[in-house]
Amino acid sequence: MGADSGPGAPAAVPWRKVLYERQPFPDNYVDRCFLEELRRNIRVRQYCYWAVVRETGLIAQQVSCVAVFLTLWSYMEQGDLVPSAVLWVCLGCALLGYGLYEILGGSCVRERTRLADLQSSTIFLAFTFGFSPVLKTLTESVSTDTVHAMSAVMLLAHLVSFPYAQPSPPGSLSLNAALFGSVCLASRLPGALHTFTMLSCAVLVFALWPCLLHRMREKAEWSFPWAAVLVCLAGVRGLGSLWPEGALLLLLALLTLTLVCPLLLVHLQRHKDNIHGPWDEAEIREDLSRFLN
Amino acid sequence: MVLKIFFPQCCNTADSGLLVGRWIPGHNSAVVLAVIHYPFIPGQVKKYLSELQSQTQVDLTVLGSWSMPKEGQEGMDSFLKDLSTIFPQKCWLQLSREIGKRGFTCQVVQNNGKLLQDQEQKNGDDKIILIHYDQRKVMLSQLHPVQDVGQKSDVEPSELRLVFLTVAQSQPLFFLDKYDDGPLKLTHWQSEGREASIIAELLKQVSVPVCIFLTWLLSLWHWLCSFRMLHLRPVLFISSKLSTCVQSGYRAVHFKTVFSPKKAARHMEFMRKANIFVSFLVDIALGLLLILWLYRENRISKLADTLVPVADRVAKELQELLEWLMGAPAGLKMNRALDQVLGRFFLYHIHLWISYIHLMSPFIERILWYVGLSACLGLTFALSILSDIVALLTFHIYCFYVYGARLYCLKIYGLSSLWRLFRGKKWNVLRQRVDSCSYDLDQLFIGTLLFTILLFLLPTTALYYLVFTLLRLVVVLFQGVIHLSVDFINSFPLFAIGLRICRPYRLAEGVKFKVLCQEPGTPLHLMMEINPLKCSSVLQCYRMPTYSCSPKDSWAALCKKLFVGELIYPWKQKTAKTD
Repeated sequence: MGADSGPGAPAAVPWRKVLYERQPFPDNYVDRCFLEELRRNIRVRQYCYWAVVRETGLIAQQVSCVAVFLTLWSYMEQGDLVPSAVLWVCLGCALLGYGLYEILGGSCVRERTRLADLQSSTIFLAFTFGFSPVLKTLTESVSTDTVHAMSAVMLLAHLVSFPYAQPSPPGSLSLNAALFGSVCLASRLPGALHTFTMLSCAVLVFALWPCLLHRMREKAEWSFPWAAVLVCLAGVRGLGSLWPEGALLLLLALLTLTLVCPLLLVHLQRHKDNIHGPWDEAEIREDLSRFLN
Repeated sequence: MVLKIFFPQCCNTADSGLLVGRWIPGHNSAVVLAVIHYPFIPGQVKKYLSELQSQTQVDLTVLGSWSMPKEGQEGMDSFLKDLSTIFPQKCWLQLSREIGKRGFTCQVVQNNGKLLQDQEQKNGDDKIILIHYDQRKVMLSQLHPVQDVGQKSDVEPSELRLVFLTVAQSQPLFFLDKYDDGPLKLTHWQSEGREASIIAELLKQVSVPVCIFLTWLLSLWHWLCSFRMLHLRPVLFISSKLSTCVQSGYRAVHFKTVFSPKKAARHMEFMRKANIFVSFLVDIALGLLLILWLYRENRISKLADTLVPVADRVAKELQELLEWLMGAPAGLKMNRALDQVLGRFFLYHIHLWISYIHLMSPFIERILWYVGLSACLGLTFALSILSDIVALLTFHIYCFYVYGARLYCLKIYGLSSLWRLFRGKKWNVLRQRVDSCSYDLDQLFIGTLLFTILLFLLPTTALYYLVFTLLRLVVVLFQGVIHLSVDFINSFPLFAIGLRICRPYRLAEGVKFKVLCQEPGTPLHLMMEINPLKCSSVLQCYRMPTYSCSPKDSWAALCKKLFVGELIYPWKQKTAKTD
């Protein structure tokens, strides 16, 4: 039954849109103002291509982070890198990063005191150093193919579940998956010190670097694209020294991700067709913080 | 209205006289218990009946007259009719029998003089049925399901039950036999002479002081057991685990029931006492047989000689098993370091155990000799001691099982909790559900490390747990079999089954009727025979309650416990209430 097509609709009594009263109309009767409140695509944003490309840089740099980590591991496994040297470099990078973090966040209120930070790092170092002999023997009885497969799955899970919208407190599943994968890989290395070094690198790359990056984005907007590009280049270069075809693949993947996907997104916006109406859930738009104090 | 008259078989050939019995209240029936012969003085009859009434609590009355005329006794009929005026009744029965004929004739005279005759032409509804019963059997029989006399029950006792009760309670009526020089001459099942045996009388006399003495001994035993020293926690714990102590405690309770000097008032109490006593005697007899067999041909020393090598062999097998586990068992990949640690730990335990056994070996024969003597307390004791010895000998298996189970349980628990952390979730204890949670960086890091470690060490621990659980289950099964047999001996109602086989009329389920004589002009004669209780009902009714060792958990719960690593005690015994 469409609007105005009810044959037995007496015009004397106007139809009201209520079901709790008996009306002379049938239950599924609608009148002229049917679907008047329908709105289409009221929240669709118009994307600017270059803005989207800038945002995609985050994903690209995360992929490159994984590539950098794998390069490091590969070198350590082949024995080209001495673990103590890598350890010192990691320590240096950590201190540098921490200093940068403090400088950039000077005006912010600190959530954690310096003492709490020191405590965390001590716990981490102690634990890892203490458990590294145990960790080293964990996958002895597992075949190499299984270990590689597990690590690949875990790192993929890390990439997929990474909280790209809010990377500052790192998401549980992504961080855990990355750490699990790195433990699997680290247990294949020749010595306990190697394991310790690998884990420290993993924590740096997967846990601390996203926090720093996020802080940089917030405070110094201009530095973000340069940092992303730097990381991508490092990833490609590192992979290239081991496996040139892989580096080529990575480059292609990064270019697709950064340039082609935003194009697709912008291009396909015109097919968007969302309908909204009085049946949507209510959303509170007001800023209610004035009631809090 | 059908009038039912229950007539004892022993009175079929009695001389003429008065019928003494009871009218069943609420039903149109009468039970004839005895016949009082001529000559009698009515006053003495009445006095005797009222004496009996106060003694037995059964309202005995004169029901009517019985005439079986012999030669020279004609003319009794009118005499019999006049008797109804001396003993005023609501209904006066006049049963008469002629020699040579099978059936009786019965006339019922109502109070108002109306004659009720058994003639089908007159009133087709009014019939009289004469049911013959064996008085002795009905007196001794007990109708099942048992309803106690003093108990108030919602169900009105049925007519049959009232008949049985009446006959059973009228025992004092049957004490006068024909050799007594009293004023009254009765005919009932015992009128040919009371049965008694000297031995039974002697035993009855002797049993009372013996019971008092044994009860005093028991109280002494209880006083010994109530020492404060024996109520310390460790002693209590050990004594609750050793099945010998449990069995002895159980037997003490039994004895208390059996040896109490009070006579059993109710049928169930009597059966219980008898069952306990008979099963105890059989137990002791079997135990003595076992002793005879054990102590002949030096079997004890042979047993002791084989015990130490058997223990050694068991330990060696365990060692070999552990060595196999420490290698690559069944091709499984184990974590070498953990494997070595666990294997060495258990090997050291076995080494300790072997040293202990070797230390004890000179004394084993002596100990066994004295322990074997304890079988004279009953076969159940011997079996309990066997079960305890097995438990002691396999104590190391139990220890290993506990270690393995605890380790595995801890691992499973840790793994499940850390898996939730891996996904970023947490168990909400208040709401009993899984909620999301934002963890700190260091919590995440340490959690992931531990998760990885536990996950990779799981196969090793699980294998050790599996092996030791299987061993423990074998031992538990063996112990369970022993306990079941002890339980069976304890609870089987031998006396009741014996009674059912030898004297089936004593446990009655109901009655069946056989038609004796159905001639026109005489009432219907039926023969009532007792239907004995089925054997399965006997077992169900008289089975003694025991600390039954039925498995505590169902199969599904057991499997779940095994999977999670909880310690299982499948044969949990119901502990007696301590007061």
